[in-house]
Amino acid sequence: MRYLFKKKEFGILAVIILMSVVLTMLNNVFIRPDNLIDVAKGNVVLCIMALGMLPVLISGGIDLSVSSTIAMCAVVGGKLLVNNGSNLFMMIAVCMLSGAGIGLFNGIVIAKMKIPPIVATLGTMSIVLGAVLFYTNGDWITNLPKWFGEFGMIKVLGLPVQVLFLIAAGAITWFLLKFTLIGRGVYAIGGNAVSAQRVGYNIEKIQICIYVYSGAMAGLASVMHTSIVQQVDPNTFTGMELNVIVAVVIGGASTMGGVGTVLGTYLGVALMAILKNGLVLAKVPTFWQKIVMGSIIVFAVSFDVINRKREQAKLERVDVEE
Amino acid sequence: MLKKMKAKHANELILLVILVFVIILMGMLSPTRFFTWGNLATIAFQMPEFGLLAIGMMAVIITGGINLSITQVATLSGIASAFLLSGDFAAQNPVLGIIVSIAVGLIVSVFTGLFNGFFVAYVGVAAMLVTLGSMTLFEGIGLNMTKGGSIAGFPSAFSFIGNESILGIPVPMLIYLMMIVISYFMLERSNWGVKVYLTGCNEVATRFSGINTKRTLLKVYVFSSVLASIAGLVLISRYNSAKVDYGSSYMMQSVAAVVLGGTSINGGYGTVAGTVIAVAIIQVVSTGLNLFGLNRYLIDIIIGVVLIGVLAIRFFNKKWETAQLLKISQSDTKQSQCR
Repeated sequence: MRYLFKKKEFGILAVIILMSVVLTMLNNVFIRPDNLIDVAKGNVVLCIMALGMLPVLISGGIDLSVSSTIAMCAVVGGKLLVNNGSNLFMMIAVCMLSGAGIGLFNGIVIAKMKIPPIVATLGTMSIVLGAVLFYTNGDWITNLPKWFGEFGMIKVLGLPVQVLFLIAAGAITWFLLKFTLIGRGVYAIGGNAVSAQRVGYNIEKIQICIYVYSGAMAGLASVMHTSIVQQVDPNTFTGMELNVIVAVVIGGASTMGGVGTVLGTYLGVALMAILKNGLVLAKVPTFWQKIVMGSIIVFAVSFDVINRKREQAKLERVDVEE
Repeated sequence: MLKKMKAKHANELILLVILVFVIILMGMLSPTRFFTWGNLATIAFQMPEFGLLAIGMMAVIITGGINLSITQVATLSGIASAFLLSGDFAAQNPVLGIIVSIAVGLIVSVFTGLFNGFFVAYVGVAAMLVTLGSMTLFEGIGLNMTKGGSIAGFPSAFSFIGNESILGIPVPMLIYLMMIVISYFMLERSNWGVKVYLTGCNEVATRFSGINTKRTLLKVYVFSSVLASIAGLVLISRYNSAKVDYGSSYMMQSVAAVVLGGTSINGGYGTVAGTVIAVAIIQVVSTGLNLFGLNRYLIDIIIGVVLIGVLAIRFFNKKWETAQLLKISQSDTKQSQCR
């Protein structure tokens, strides 16, 4: 039992429970099932992108281009539906493949040319977003076929279909990270890249796979987003990558790499979602919401770092430690 | 001596060549409109705010961090100044009012720098996360002060800073040149500057060498914020109003400029000259292509391609150099980025 308490995710869970209790006292609309399901549905896109970002952060890298990738996949998917009226599987496949393509470009630039991930994905973000906006001229795609609208509204056992996709994506990510060689390689690279290479992991191959996965998840998230809002606006995705990174980091991953779990990512997204929903329900003015979000991010990450430092200080160290 | 200078500043010389090439290229694309005083004035008025933010970002990147909140610091200190400028005190005593509001803007930026620096240096949180949080925080404070709108109604003397010229050189450009010289001396020719580079290269070794890395880092973030506030000052003077969104695109562009200028993203290396030339390259490309009539989205693509392209060229160049030096085999030991 004490082992369970020490886990980092337990801290986040405790904060979530505390926040939920406070919010329910302030406005008991919060705890109603339909509100909770709405919050879940509204954050599916963020969560799927966070699941794609998780391996990237674990490996010590970063992917700033997810916002442009999801924009591109949404436009590609939208055009496909409007012009060719294909079926659901085709759309998901095309979107995920185009996302994976961008990820492949990222992976090759980062792995083969040794360009730091932050710079490479920054460049990719500009290129892809510029291409998308140039191609669409900022126009929205609104005349999606009716069957897609019905798909977006399907509920299975009361849960929206998007939430089911989220659960599936989380299960796949968890399986890949825990039970496959590539997944363990991600943690190895994040811990110490040189040691991982000595042990025998193919760093370049694993890095390419990580970024392809991130791109593919962005593609899946674009399908979910389009199914929720039933239109494609290339401009709404700007700035999303920072929200994704915050959610994953609050969920326990570190920008230095080496740590992170799917459960933590779920909890991190849940915390941000409950916070945002709570601020609205507690009738906090819009301008204050940003102040609260910003302060919470700063204090949440500092709290985490202080805890970790305190734990490390408890261990006896004789020689120099980083 | 020339050979020594060439070897030490090879990077900056290459960037200078690229700048000249780009100027000629842009001139060829729209010969009648590029090489005019009007166009030169446009560039000279627009480049300073971008350049100041880039130098501020560079100082932080040298220490191995990043300052995502830099544009929000610029707008927040601009908004703080604007508050005073649009009030009655400034309307009645314009000169004193302007001086006081500039001081207030600078003080606000110092506080934001201390906030960022405290969490990065003394608590030890990753710079990206702190500045991401503080970016949202400062945006919220700014939104709270402006209620989402813009603050206008400055004394007419204030627009002198952003729009007038002294002896033919635009005032923003003079401020920019002055700050370039000051930053150069502070970062590359002073005790504190040496400490900054050392901290970025290897923080643990520097700490064990007796240098107070925490205080150095704190000062770096304050330096970055002060530069941002000067950029904010130029911004609000040019727009003659203050709003939260002004200059928000400059954040990613300044990171691009810093990296293009040769600064290592892991820290420990970077020159003011390199960043300044890279800022000029991006500005010339952006303005030149704009004049040529190219769609602004294509301009974004080109800048992204230029960024990745230059870095790729640097990588292949370094690989070729290393292969030349170690003719036996390619070693895969970790090589330090700091030179």
